[in-house]
Amino acid sequence: MTAAEFWRQVFEIARKDLKVEGRAGEVLSITVPFGAVALLLLPMAIGTEKTMLAKIGPGMFFGVTLLFGMLVAFRQSASDTQAQRELLTLLGIDPAATFVGRSFASALLLLVFEVILAPLTVILYNPPLVDGWPWMLLIILLVALGLAFVGTLAGAVTAGVRTRSTLAPLLVAPLSVPLLISSSQVYEGLRLGRSIIPWIVLLLAMNLALAVVGVATAKPLEETSR
Amino acid sequence: MTEALVQLEGVGVRFGRITVLRDVDLRVAAGEGVGIVGPNGSGKSTLLRVLATLLQPTDGHGTVLGAPLGKDTPPAVRRRISLIGHQPALYGELTLEENLGFVARLLGRSHDDVVKTLSKVGLGGALDRRADHSSHGMQRRVEFARVLMTRPDLLLLDEAHAGLDRHAAALVEATVATVKRRGGSVILVSHEPDRMLPLVERIYEIVDGTTVEGVPEP
Amino acid sequence: MKKTLSILAPLAVVGVVIGFTFAMTAPIDAYQGIFQKTMYVHVPSAWLAYISFAVTLIASIGYLAKKDLRWDRIAASSAEMGVFFTGLALMTGMIWGRPVWGTFWDWGDARLVLTALMFIVYLGYLALRRSIAEPTTRARRSAVFGIVAFVQIPLVHFSVSWWRTLHQQATVLRPETLTGAADAPIDPLMLRALMVNLLAFTLVYATFMVARVWIAKLEDEREERHALENIEIAGAAISAPDFDGGFDD
Repeated sequence: MTAAEFWRQVFEIARKDLKVEGRAGEVLSITVPFGAVALLLLPMAIGTEKTMLAKIGPGMFFGVTLLFGMLVAFRQSASDTQAQRELLTLLGIDPAATFVGRSFASALLLLVFEVILAPLTVILYNPPLVDGWPWMLLIILLVALGLAFVGTLAGAVTAGVRTRSTLAPLLVAPLSVPLLISSSQVYEGLRLGRSIIPWIVLLLAMNLALAVVGVATAKPLEETSR
Repeated sequence: MTEALVQLEGVGVRFGRITVLRDVDLRVAAGEGVGIVGPNGSGKSTLLRVLATLLQPTDGHGTVLGAPLGKDTPPAVRRRISLIGHQPALYGELTLEENLGFVARLLGRSHDDVVKTLSKVGLGGALDRRADHSSHGMQRRVEFARVLMTRPDLLLLDEAHAGLDRHAAALVEATVATVKRRGGSVILVSHEPDRMLPLVERIYEIVDGTTVEGVPEP
Repeated sequence: MKKTLSILAPLAVVGVVIGFTFAMTAPIDAYQGIFQKTMYVHVPSAWLAYISFAVTLIASIGYLAKKDLRWDRIAASSAEMGVFFTGLALMTGMIWGRPVWGTFWDWGDARLVLTALMFIVYLGYLALRRSIAEPTTRARRSAVFGIVAFVQIPLVHFSVSWWRTLHQQATVLRPETLTGAADAPIDPLMLRALMVNLLAFTLVYATFMVARVWIAKLEDEREERHALENIEIAGAAISAPDFDGGFDD
């Protein structure tokens, strides 16, 4: 298969996933409000002292993105029925293209999740605007991509499993720790004027590692092999 | 006899303790239609999935369109196989046109082809209907449109007639005839042989998990 | 495997007895007192946790390459052992932490946090296995997750340890200097006891692994034999409905 053909398949899969999600509307109408309610509820449990909220705000945002945003990757429209999977196989779609396309679609939806919840975090927690804050845009993008990769992988290994709705998050949460720590530490680094390069390198490394594993295991993961 | 597009020898499928198929021998020539009958749960659909290269057998060997079973089948071979199964392979949220369009773009076909083919199967007036708002018969017609577009060398139909009206049944017959005329093979699976008898040259019955050639006793 | 086991098992028992004796007769730590002795369990457990998960990784790759269920049995058995040793490392770590740090859990210790995360990751691995009944599907999917999990461990490790070094608290007793890290001075007798225990625990791991893989193999073979001897044809489970002119009796 040529590279052009591979990327065309990636594009078609992502386009189809996004179109289906656009009609189903699960992310915008359910997952985003669910994340918003988490941001709203947490101060009720830990207190509403202003300086504390300002301090924990960015961390809360990334914590909520990880725990609730990952549900974007497990949305109904990101899982195929057996008939749909078999159709893709018979159409000669490279399973790696399905993995990449599906991850890109989820990453874009996660980006939407983050872009809506970030201003809400600013409103509710009022964290200080740090110098070099535009770096956070890159971080938000890398977190979305990393979470989409690990979520797509977990979604694939739990496809059709009855306990999927709780099992998939259990698999994803501990593996996403580097995303959580790096993203909050970049904010801390910017606030305290420390170097943020190691954290960005770590985020890039994680994205690269997950992409490589996802592409390499896509073929053997296909149901038809024995 | 002409070249065999499908050849199975001693093929068996086991899932843990359960044996679904054993010692299945099957040979289907180019241009030939073969029917497979058997009661509910006898392994007809499993056999069809083996033939579609979607399930590797536990025992035995064989070839489908020249590709050996039990190894990874090249995508180029898979694109020459069409399967219409129990569940429609459609995306409920997409329209009928978008569903076929998705397949068309992956096969490198034009959008004109999509509209033309949907009109051919009698859905020209329902292009914008969402698949999950369409009836079972309409969904089936989209699947036949997909087959027409794929132009397969091996067509596999699982209970193709179930729940179809007179027109759709005629569509099944025309599609089968077209594939056979082009030199492809068609394998039909059904628990009621009557409707498929006119479409096939030979019939196999699945008895005790294995195939027996010949028209079954009514 | 029976023969291997008959050699390994006694060796492991002897190893544990000697290890225990060495641990108990090693000098008592000047600062930590008797509590330091949990180290002889803690360090070997942590070591074997990593070994177990590495074996799971290798066996997972082996399965995907060879599609032989033998590899899957090794991957699963080793993950079970890994979870056991990770749990033991966590428990001994906390039992030691309570008197020495004054708290069961210290966020300052990156390794403790990392061990807890690994424990959960592989609990997830075992939960995934339990959720899938079909053997080849289970083997294929858990192999993929076994690889993803292990690839993530170094990244989780870096993130947690960098994070902790940035928040170094001014504690008198740093965990790094206590748990026998290479840069810390350690009494030769203590080191000897630790090494003997490392060996003993490794023997215990090897014994349990051989036994566990053997059991898994016997289970698989029983299933296979059952399938071949009393052929249960799927279709035979369904017969004609039993009614006589109607279902009212």
